[in-house]
Parts: sequence; C-alpha cells; structure tokens
Amino acid sequence: MDQILLQAEHITKKFPGVVALNDVSFDLRAGEIHALCGENGAGKSTLIKLLSGIHPAGSYEGWFMVDGTEVRFSSIADAGRAGISVIYQELALVEEMTVAENIFLGREPRRMGVLVDWPKVYRDARALLARFKVDLDPAARVSDLGIGQKQLVEIVKALAKDSRILILDEPTAALAEHEVLILLEILRDLRARGMACIYISHKLDEVFSIADRVTVLRDGATISTKPAKQTDKGMVIRDMVGREIQDLFPRRAGHPGEVVMKVDGLNADTGVAHGLALRDISFELRAGEVLGIGGLMGAGRTELLMHLFGAWGQRRSGLVALAGQEMRAASPSSSIRKGLVLVSEDRRRYGLVIENGVGFNMSLSSLDQFTRFGVVNRSREMKRSRELFDSLRVKATGLDAVVGRLSGGNQQKVVLGKALMTGPQVVLLDEPTRGIDVGAKIEIYELVNQLTAEGKAVILVSSELPELIGMSDRILMLHEGKIGGEFTREDATQERLMEAAMGGEMVSAN
Amino acid sequence: MSSRLSLRDFSVGIALLLMGGFFAFKEPEFLSARNLSQLMTELSIVATLAMGMLLIILGGHIDLSAGSGVGLLGGLASVLVMQHDYSAPAAMGIAFVAGVVLWKAMGALIVMERIPAFIVTLGGLLIFKGMFWRTIDNSTIPVAPGGTSNLYSLLTTYYVPPKWGLMMATVLVLILVVITLRTRSQRLADGFEVESREIAFLKVFVAGQGMFLFVLITNQFRGVPLPALILGMVTLIVHVLTRHTAFGRHLYAIGGNEEAALISGIPVKRVVFAAFGIMGGIVAITGFMQTAYVGSSTTTVGELMELDAVAACVVGGVSLRGGRGSVMGVLLGSLLMVTLLKGMGLMNVSPEHKFMARGAVLILAAWMDVRLNRR
Repeated sequence: MDQILLQAEHITKKFPGVVALNDVSFDLRAGEIHALCGENGAGKSTLIKLLSGIHPAGSYEGWFMVDGTEVRFSSIADAGRAGISVIYQELALVEEMTVAENIFLGREPRRMGVLVDWPKVYRDARALLARFKVDLDPAARVSDLGIGQKQLVEIVKALAKDSRILILDEPTAALAEHEVLILLEILRDLRARGMACIYISHKLDEVFSIADRVTVLRDGATISTKPAKQTDKGMVIRDMVGREIQDLFPRRAGHPGEVVMKVDGLNADTGVAHGLALRDISFELRAGEVLGIGGLMGAGRTELLMHLFGAWGQRRSGLVALAGQEMRAASPSSSIRKGLVLVSEDRRRYGLVIENGVGFNMSLSSLDQFTRFGVVNRSREMKRSRELFDSLRVKATGLDAVVGRLSGGNQQKVVLGKALMTGPQVVLLDEPTRGIDVGAKIEIYELVNQLTAEGKAVILVSSELPELIGMSDRILMLHEGKIGGEFTREDATQERLMEAAMGGEMVSAN
Repeated sequence: MSSRLSLRDFSVGIALLLMGGFFAFKEPEFLSARNLSQLMTELSIVATLAMGMLLIILGGHIDLSAGSGVGLLGGLASVLVMQHDYSAPAAMGIAFVAGVVLWKAMGALIVMERIPAFIVTLGGLLIFKGMFWRTIDNSTIPVAPGGTSNLYSLLTTYYVPPKWGLMMATVLVLILVVITLRTRSQRLADGFEVESREIAFLKVFVAGQGMFLFVLITNQFRGVPLPALILGMVTLIVHVLTRHTAFGRHLYAIGGNEEAALISGIPVKRVVFAAFGIMGGIVAITGFMQTAYVGSSTTTVGELMELDAVAACVVGGVSLRGGRGSVMGVLLGSLLMVTLLKGMGLMNVSPEHKFMARGAVLILAAWMDVRLNRR
C-alpha cells in the first residue's frame, strides 16, 4: 500500500509563450486512487500527456520514475509497456468494430504468425468482461452501445494490457448516474487488487467518495496534496481558484439599455442519445451589456452560443427573440443578416480560411455590402478591411498576408474584424482570448468595452473565471446544459461560480 | 487574390516552351498555321470544360461525369436536328437546358443528401453514357444534313474573317487599357498602393501583343476559329465569377474551410448547387463544340474528357482539396495537355504511348505541386 509506484519530480513543460507546468512533483502509490483537480488550463492534461508519452521525453524538464527507476517515454507505446494506460475524455474506440475486436485492437492473438485467432479473441474478451463484472456481449458492435458502456469497454481494454497504472481523464463526464456507480465500483475493486489510479474529475462529490489523496493544480503548479480525509470540497475549490483578480480587466460598465435578445425556456439537442442537451435556458440580454457565460468543459457553453447562432442542435421548445422578433430555425447566414454574429472558440476550424489572406477573411461575411450588379467593388472592400485592420491593430504585412502565418492574437483580431464588419447588434464571443498573449487580450477587452459603449450587446463565454468576473456585467453559470446559477458582477466570487458550475447548491438566490 | 503570375504558372510556362520547342524541332509541321489553328480549336474545347471543372474543384468537389455529359448533350442536339427536324439553335437550346437540369440534380444530391460528389458523378458517368448511347441508338448521327451547314456545324468550321479579327483585337486592347486605368485611379483615390506606371504599361503591352500575335497567327489559316471566341467568353465569365463576385469568393472559402465558411454566414449549399448548374451549361457548350469538331455524334465522343479537364486543372495548379486555383493556371494547364497530345499526334506516337505520356505528365505536375508547396 505504501509502495510508491510512480513518481514525477520537478516537471516543467513549456510551450511557446506559455509555461504549462512549473516544477510539478507528484507521486502515486500502489493500491491508491489519487485525484487530480484543477480549473481548465491548470495543467492536468499536460501532465497526463507527459505521463503517457504523447509529449516525448526531452520536451520537458524533470524526470519520471516507475518502481524507482527513471523512465523516458518517447511514444504512447513506451508508456504502455511500462504499464501506464490512459482513458481519455474522447473515447478511442473504433465504432464499427465489436467489443472484443476493440479490446484486442493492435494486439490480436495470432495463429501461424499471420492469421488472427478470432475464437481466442472472443474467448479472452468474454473472460475479461466477466472478471470485471461488466455485463456486455463481446460480439456487440461498439456503435450500438451507450456512452457509459463504451467507457467500460475502454477500461477493460486498458486492463487487458496488464496495466498497473490507470489514468482516467473525466471518465464520468458523459455517464448517467447508475453508470457512474458501476464505474466507481470497478475502480474500488481494482484498487483492492493493487492497481494505482490517477482520477481526474471536476465532480468533487465523486472525488471525495473514491479518492485516497487529492492533489490540486493551479496555473501549472502544485498547490496542495492532501489525504482526502484531511480536506473537503470547500478547501479544494479555494485551492483551485485561489488567484486574486488582477487589474487585467478594464471593464467599464455602462448603463444597460433595452432588451435586445430574449431567450425563454429554451430546450435543444442534436437528437443523439446521451449527447449534451440544453435544458430550460432563459435569460435576457440588454444593449450595452456584457453577459458572461461560464461552466465546466462539456457544460454546454459553446453549444448554447452555436445554437443561438443557428449552427448547433435542434430546438425542441422555447423561444429566442432578437430585437423583439422571434428567430426560428436560424442559420448562420440569417443570423448575420439580423445582426447576430459569432466568434468561435476554434478559430482555425470555424473562424478562418487559413491559406487565404487577411483581407479575404475579413470581408468574407460582408461581401454583399460591396456588391453592385453582382460585382464586388474590390477597392471599397479593401478600404473597409483596411480601416478594421488599422483600428484593430493587426500586426501583419498587409491585407495580402496569409492568416495561417500570423500569431494567435492577430488571427483572433482578423476573426473579430470579420465579425465587426457585418455591423452586428449582438456579438457572441466564445473564448475570445484563448491561446493569445496578455497584450492582445487587453486589446480584446478594450474592444468589448468599445462595443458596449456603442450600444451593442456582448455574450462572453470564458472558462477563465477571473476573466469572466472581470469582464462581465452579469454571469450565468451552466451546469450540464442547465443554468446552475446567475450572478451579478458584485456578488460573483470565484468560489461561488465554481460551486454553481459543479451543480452545487445555489449560492446566490438571485 | 492578386493577378500576379505565381512561380507555378511560370514553371508551367517554361515546360510549355520546352515542349513546344521539342515538337517544333522534331516535326516542323507543328508550327504550321494549319496545325496551330487546329491546336487552338482543340485547346478551346478542352479548356472550356476545364473552366467549369475549376468551379467544381474550387468548392472542394469533383465532376467525373463531364465526359459522358459532353457525349450525351452533343448527341441530343444531333438527334433533335437530324431526326426531329429542330433548327440547330433550338436543338442546342434544349440540350443546354437539359445539361443545366441534370447537373443541378446531381448538385442537389451532393448538397442536400450529402452524397460525395465523387460517387454521384461517377454514377452520372455511367448513367449519362447509357443515356447517350440510347439517344443516338449506338449509331453515327451527323450535326448537319449531308452537304449543308447549320449553326451547329459552323461551331468548329467558322472562322472570323481576318479583318474582323484584327478589329476585335483592337477593341479588346482598348477595353483592357480603360479598365486598367480606371482600377488604378480608384485604388489611388482610396489610398492603396498600385504597381508602378511602367509595370502596368508593360502588362497591358504584353497582353495586347499576345492578342495581336494570336490573331495574326490564326489569320494565316482562315482566321480566328469560333471555338476560340467561345473559350474567350467562357474564360471571361469564369474569371469575373471567381475574382469579382461574392459567389466566387464564397466558393474559394468553401473549398478552403467549409465549416468556417458556414459560420461566416455563407449559404454553402446554394453556392455549390449554383456551381453545378453552371457546370451543366458548360458541359453542354463543350458537347456541342466537340461533337461538331468530330462532325457527328458517335459513341466515343467525349470519352475520358472529364479526366483531361481534371488534368488541365491539376497541371494548372488547382488544388483538388479545393480553395486554390485560377483561370490563368487552368488555361496554361489546358494548353500544356493539348500541346502534348497534338505534338505526339504529329509524331505518330501510338495511342498506347500517348495514354502513358499523358498519365506521366499529370503525375509529374501533381508531384511538382506538392514539392513547391512544401518548400
């Protein structure tokens, strides 16, 4: 029980412009479940990626030891041979294959060296499933399983490799209540057999029901490691957010005007069973106001913005009105015409045509403005692009510069420029400062101030609580597709927001 | 988005000169007025189809049914003229509309039902071929009754009289000068940089020289062939569409990043649907020219032309993933493919070797593209 199986010593990992992990130390004992907690971006995923060989040895400082000897992984396979298995949030199963095929994928038992021994695959799979009390048919196709059952297959697959160290990254994010119970039961069983487990979860109730020790990471550093019995939810939350809001957020609140957008009793989903659904969402947005929306990963923040914009899910019930007019079955093009525009969190995927120029991208949503008799007036178009290029202070050689070669901050400015050129009344910003440097961040905050000063309304989605509190006039926290709490700027604290995001009791009674 | 020639266009140009030089050296007949005039006609037919293909490929799709469509629509016009006594313009009008309708139907399957264009148009290749052979009943149907001519047959037998050719070239150069001057002055007025006076003059001068040279050469053999005029019109339309309309810009954006295009408010489905409609019209026009060039509709008309059009695009630097390519590149690519074919024909290269050479050039061009882009 006390034998240390895995040890991380003074790990520092830098990405260009960011220190993801700063001198982190961590250990894991045999027969222990060690929970790892932290906000989005605290460094949990980076640590896992180092442990599993995704970021190879040599790309970081510090060292890892398994059984007291140093290990240097250069690939996932290396980590696997050392007995480390990772189960990610996004499942890595081949949907079209059966449960048994997935369990033995890449290590199929052979006959005469070349032919797959299928009877053995199914025999062994059945034995494994039975051993872990998982009631699944090895011949069932994975695409026919529910998400919880898939998670179980993923775990059995990891166990089939004789792993000694199991890393679970948000394993219950998509599970139903009873599936969570099965999973936790399996983990307790494994622990009794001496398996060591790193358990990453935002759900603190789960953490405290199963973990032996809890380590909190914040801003890439270890804040605390304590036995679960000597700490509690409140302390963990404080450790997770414990930052002071610096004067980084120059929000100048104005006087909110009339309601420009009204959402009433909105229910929407993609029609996929077990998928995320938005449930019973209602709010009002006023001119000149910044409405912040927070929540943990998978809480439905992005989906809510995309749905309002007409790019995600189907509306089951409820009403969305823009400037007093109901918006039904909106598409991005109709939303833009009505004065609603979205800046996506994933700019390379949803924001930019990466091989084309700055000017091409900036005017992409607004070509109608410059078109007469079907022909685009290039000169007027370039003139308008130039104005935004200058006012946003895009650092590039000119409108012809290929956007793929610009820095993240400048790419984001191009996306913002494209959104602004449409002349919107409501601007939906999804993680507008993700992955960009501090200087550009402040410029974006100033832009938000300028927009609201002009009477436009902004919805700001952010997973950074200080940014959310610093820049919003009001904040909605989402929890599993529902509103978990609403806060004014004055009574929003990081602790309260985090609690609401985790579905805790409503702190603020509005 | 600039009209500057890329390194790629430049390398295709050099390959063209080398190839032309080689053929001229081996077979002096290659440079004869008659041969060059024929080359122009053949280029016009292939390049017209390639212009349509450019629109399809820019949006990230492909059209494998174009060759069968060329046969079918040309055959339809022939049958209407010869067996149903339609006038040539009416017959071609009907076939043109049929082309637009068929391609819009394929476009609808692609954008509404999200069946890959590769599959839909591969099905189209087979279906249109079957329809074609049924339409002409596996026989040979001339484009005009024996010994007479009509608008249909004139498509590839009419030449613009030399005097008119020169006048047209003069007018075109004047228009080019006016447009260049107007664009320059507006850009200057809006505070943008423009190229130096000398460069601008040089560009217009070279373009004008090219046009006059073209007319003078074709005038050596009857005059400018009508297909060249048709290609000129199609090229101009496609150029304006791709460079100067929202439709064209949207097409580049869809090919470059369809998800971003959608989020940017571009009506992705409508744009791709429209591109297929235009392609249908262009396939019909190509079908009329190709059938008229052969003289009659037979089962082999249009065979493999879809691949010639795709090859012309690829050689001309059009990315098969979509979002990259230009009218100028496609013209050069078509010229290279047609020159290769024509030169080998003159040298009496056997058909089997011709196939292999065309394939090799295509792969070579794609390989060069990959290398140049990697850098």
